[in-house]
Amino acid sequence: MTPRKVLVVDDSKLLHRMYEVMLRQVVLLHAYDGQGGIDLLRKNPDIDLVLLDLNMPIMNGLEFLTVAKADPQLAKVPVIIVTTEGSDAQTKRGLEAGANAYLTKPFDATRLAHVIGSLESP
Amino acid sequence: MKEELPPRLTSALDELRTTLDRAAELAKQIESQPKPNAPSTAADLQSRLADAESDRLELSARLADYEHQVGRLMNLYVATYQLHATLDPAEVQSTIAEIAINLLGAERFVLLFWKENATQCEIALSQGLEADKSGMYTGGVYAGGDAMVDATLSDGVLRIGPIAGSDAVAAVPLTVQGTTVGALVLLRLFPHKAALKPEDRDLLDLIAAHAASALFAARVYSATDRKLKTLESLVKLVRR
Repeated sequence: MTPRKVLVVDDSKLLHRMYEVMLRQVVLLHAYDGQGGIDLLRKNPDIDLVLLDLNMPIMNGLEFLTVAKADPQLAKVPVIIVTTEGSDAQTKRGLEAGANAYLTKPFDATRLAHVIGSLESP
Repeated sequence: MKEELPPRLTSALDELRTTLDRAAELAKQIESQPKPNAPSTAADLQSRLADAESDRLELSARLADYEHQVGRLMNLYVATYQLHATLDPAEVQSTIAEIAINLLGAERFVLLFWKENATQCEIALSQGLEADKSGMYTGGVYAGGDAMVDATLSDGVLRIGPIAGSDAVAAVPLTVQGTTVGALVLLRLFPHKAALKPEDRDLLDLIAAHAASALFAARVYSATDRKLKTLESLVKLVRR
C-alpha cells in the first residue's frame, strides 16, 4: 500500500521525529499514548495506516487494538506494531489482537518501507 | 485506340517513377552498409548480456550501500536534533534513554555521573536494572568493579565489549570540555539484536560528544531560570 495519512502512536518523541524524516511524503498525525491515538483515529476518518508502539502510558498498544478493532469504522484501518518486544509470543499476541504486521526496533527506513509496501490497501 | 493521358498527369507519373527509382537505390545503399552496434554472433550477445547483468549487480550494491548510509545519517540527525531540542534536563535524559532503546536496541543500560566529590558515580537513569545480578548498581550509585566501566570513567575512552572482567556491551564516556563527567553503560541488548553493528559506533560517538553537553546546558539553563524567577519575585515584593 501507499499511505497518504499515517497516525503514529508512540510515547517516544525521538521516534516521532524519526518517522517525520523517514516518511516525508506522508501526512503524519501524532499521538503519545493509546487513548490519544483512538481520539485522533475517530476525528480523522481519512487515516489509512497506524504505526503503533506497545509500551505506552494511559493506554498501551494492545488495549488500543482492542478498542480500535471493536469499532467497525476504525477496524478497517491497517495497523503495524513497531516495538522493542521482538519475541515470537509478543508477535503472536499483537497479530491476534488485530495488527496487520509487526516490526521490531531498531529499524531503518528500508525495513519500514518494505513492511508498509507489503500491506494491502483497505 | 490508346487513350492519351493529359500532359500534367504524364509529368506527375514520370516524377513518381523517378522518386521510386531513387528510393530503391537508397534502400539498396542502406542494406549494403554495415549496421553499427549490431551483434554479429550469439557469443557477442552473451557477452553483452553478462555486462548488463554485471552493471545491474553493481548498481544494486551501490543502492543498498546508499540506503545504508542514508539510514545511518538519519539516525545521527534525529539523535542530535532531539538531544538539543529541549532545555529541560529531564527531557534530555529521556532522549538519551530513547536513543539507547530505540536506536541502539539496549534492553538494560545505566547512565552514570560522577558525584561532586568525584569518589562515586550516581545513577542518573537506568532501565532493566532490576534484572541485574552483578550487585554493582545498587543504592543509586555505581559501586565500581566492572573493568570496562571503570576504565572508561577513568580515561574517557569509548569501549565496546567483549572485554575481560566486564559483562557490559559498551561503555560510552560522557565528556564536557574534555572532562569525563560520567558514562552511559549498555549492559544488555534486546534478544532480537544480537550485537552492536558497525554503524552503531557512530551513534555511540555522538552520545559521547553531545549527550553530556546537552544535559549540562539544560541543567545550567534550568538553574539560571530558577534563580531569575526568584529574583523577579523578590523585585516585585520590594516594589510593593
